[in-house]
Amino acid sequence: MVDGKAQKVQEDRPLRKHETGNPIWTCEGQGLKRLLKAGTAWLERHMEAVNSLNVFPVPDGDTGTNMLLTMQAALEEIANSPEPSVSAIAHAAAHGALMGARGNSGVILSQILRGAARDLDRKHEFNAADLASFMKEATTTAYKGVIKPVEGTILTVVREAAEAAVTVAAEEEDLRLVLEKIVKAAKESVARTPSLLPVLAEAGVVDAGGQGLFIIMEGMLRYIRGETVEVDFALETAVDLHVPSEDEYGYDVQFIIQGQDMNLEEIRDTLAAMGESTLVVGDSTTIKVHIHTEEPGTPLNYGASIGSLSKIIVENMQEQYQEFILSQARPAVTSPVTSEEICGIATVVVAQGPGLVRVFESLGASAVVPGGQTMNPSTEELLKAAENLTDQVIILPNNSNIILAAQQAQKLSEKNIRVVPTKTMPQGVSALLAFNYQADLDTNARVMERAAGEVQTVEITTATRSVQLNGVKVKKGEVIGLLNDSLAVSGRSPEQVIEGVFRQMNVEEYEIITIYYGESVAQEEAEALAARISQDYPEQEIELVNGGQPHYLYIISAE
Amino acid sequence: MTEKTRLGKIEVSPTAIANLASRSVLESYGVVGMSSRSLGSGLADLLRGDSHKRGIEVRLEGDEIIIDLYVIIEYGTRISAVAHNIMSNVKFGVEKSLGLPVAQVNVHVRGVRVSSED
Repeated sequence: MVDGKAQKVQEDRPLRKHETGNPIWTCEGQGLKRLLKAGTAWLERHMEAVNSLNVFPVPDGDTGTNMLLTMQAALEEIANSPEPSVSAIAHAAAHGALMGARGNSGVILSQILRGAARDLDRKHEFNAADLASFMKEATTTAYKGVIKPVEGTILTVVREAAEAAVTVAAEEEDLRLVLEKIVKAAKESVARTPSLLPVLAEAGVVDAGGQGLFIIMEGMLRYIRGETVEVDFALETAVDLHVPSEDEYGYDVQFIIQGQDMNLEEIRDTLAAMGESTLVVGDSTTIKVHIHTEEPGTPLNYGASIGSLSKIIVENMQEQYQEFILSQARPAVTSPVTSEEICGIATVVVAQGPGLVRVFESLGASAVVPGGQTMNPSTEELLKAAENLTDQVIILPNNSNIILAAQQAQKLSEKNIRVVPTKTMPQGVSALLAFNYQADLDTNARVMERAAGEVQTVEITTATRSVQLNGVKVKKGEVIGLLNDSLAVSGRSPEQVIEGVFRQMNVEEYEIITIYYGESVAQEEAEALAARISQDYPEQEIELVNGGQPHYLYIISAE
Repeated sequence: MTEKTRLGKIEVSPTAIANLASRSVLESYGVVGMSSRSLGSGLADLLRGDSHKRGIEVRLEGDEIIIDLYVIIEYGTRISAVAHNIMSNVKFGVEKSLGLPVAQVNVHVRGVRVSSED
């Protein structure tokens, strides 16, 4: 397989620790075979975990299975091949993967192998520079297979891993070190997927295909390092969708319901009443459920009454919690990764209401300063929040009255602070979603400001005094609707006002409507409102979030 | 496709459904183009921009939505796997936006594009 001592290693015996110190300069056919085997074995161990992440493009929970079947088909093709040349092995593996490709990620995986094989054509072995080259070609080939590549998927992960390969190979020749860097880049890339693909952020997961690819590469690295597959449980905890807090007990239940003409909304509502942290995604034939409950039997029985169940996972959260405590030194991949950890730019967000704070935290805000309408944080509070962070900080004030304080903080601080003048919570959410981990501070500030400008904000509140503004007459106590921070409509009920604002802004032209309901609104009330809106606007995707904000009954974003 | 609501009826035209479907098709891995369904000669052409819709046919038979797709697939992908993916992507994507079930998604592979030599 490789130069130096490692060449003496028997096929089925992993490298020992003391043998791993030597650099590895090249890899030939049989070495590649063993790498592919190791990657596949590691993927097999994590198949279910990858399945549980699958929400895009169709949430059918089979990404891990499909990728594994594709890799196994590739391995079958090369299992008995004594070919010494890396070109022959790569071509055979690519052919096997092509023939056995299953599912979206399987097809993409087969294209990645195909591109790699093509670049390795006629090569007897590969070195670090060749590795970078074939990963680049693999990326190009993978991207060619689709008209509109969706970022935040396996495509992004292979591209960013290849970019890392090119950078590292320019100054490093030891394949082990190069692979280490590639795997690290892949891991970081996977962690960023929710910021690129909103459906992942909504479901609180990283991309399944991307994670699968990372696991394959990690398996290869583990093989080179001589680590056995038995020792690491980091990945299992890493794919927990939720890190339970100390006061949470009960069970983490996941399953898939398959049936016909299922009513997603109704099922979601029913399940929501059975537990906490409920995640119900899918369509009329396939629904994926994730719920935390004291009685795992209840949602399972309910699911079985609707259709047939598969991929049932029931885990004791208290055990998970203990494991989590033990492994806390290792950050979980899907726990919110703050922007600061990745690229040295921190974000400070002003938000009010526990739900909205959670939203911002899950999007990677480094610090959340409590505040909003009628409760503006001081310049000092903002400075204090920025104090413990890195030298580059972006502040999202999320209220027109706080922008000034933020700008003051910018002037007073020794740090490099930029203020993205967001005036509403939804603008802040859009801005934070646009955050680009690869861009520098100024570019990010610009991109985030533009993103904030693209979202429409509707705020519903009660008038505190009688006024006439923008040609709208308002009596004290009436419900008023603000569109992008200026008064638009007044009326008797929130429903009426929302309808009025929606008509004024031509809400049909937007795709996603997110409703954050405030602390004074009951959940049932908000759900009824959301149901009515989705009935009136069937083309739009309606999302309901418990924002828990004071002052505003509802904050609605349309984009 | 008509749906009755409290305030009146909502009508979704086949063109609108085709738009929804086109989005899912264009994001489906392995699809590199669409072919005009009107081409009797069987010559597949790569449609660009808005004309993607020409490769999509939406029919309403009674209450059922039937979508026919005429696609061009990247050489070197497993056609059956790609076609299956297109079916489920389009079905899921359209149903998610439309809120109504799609009865059939038929994929007609009209051509294979060879984008680079092997």
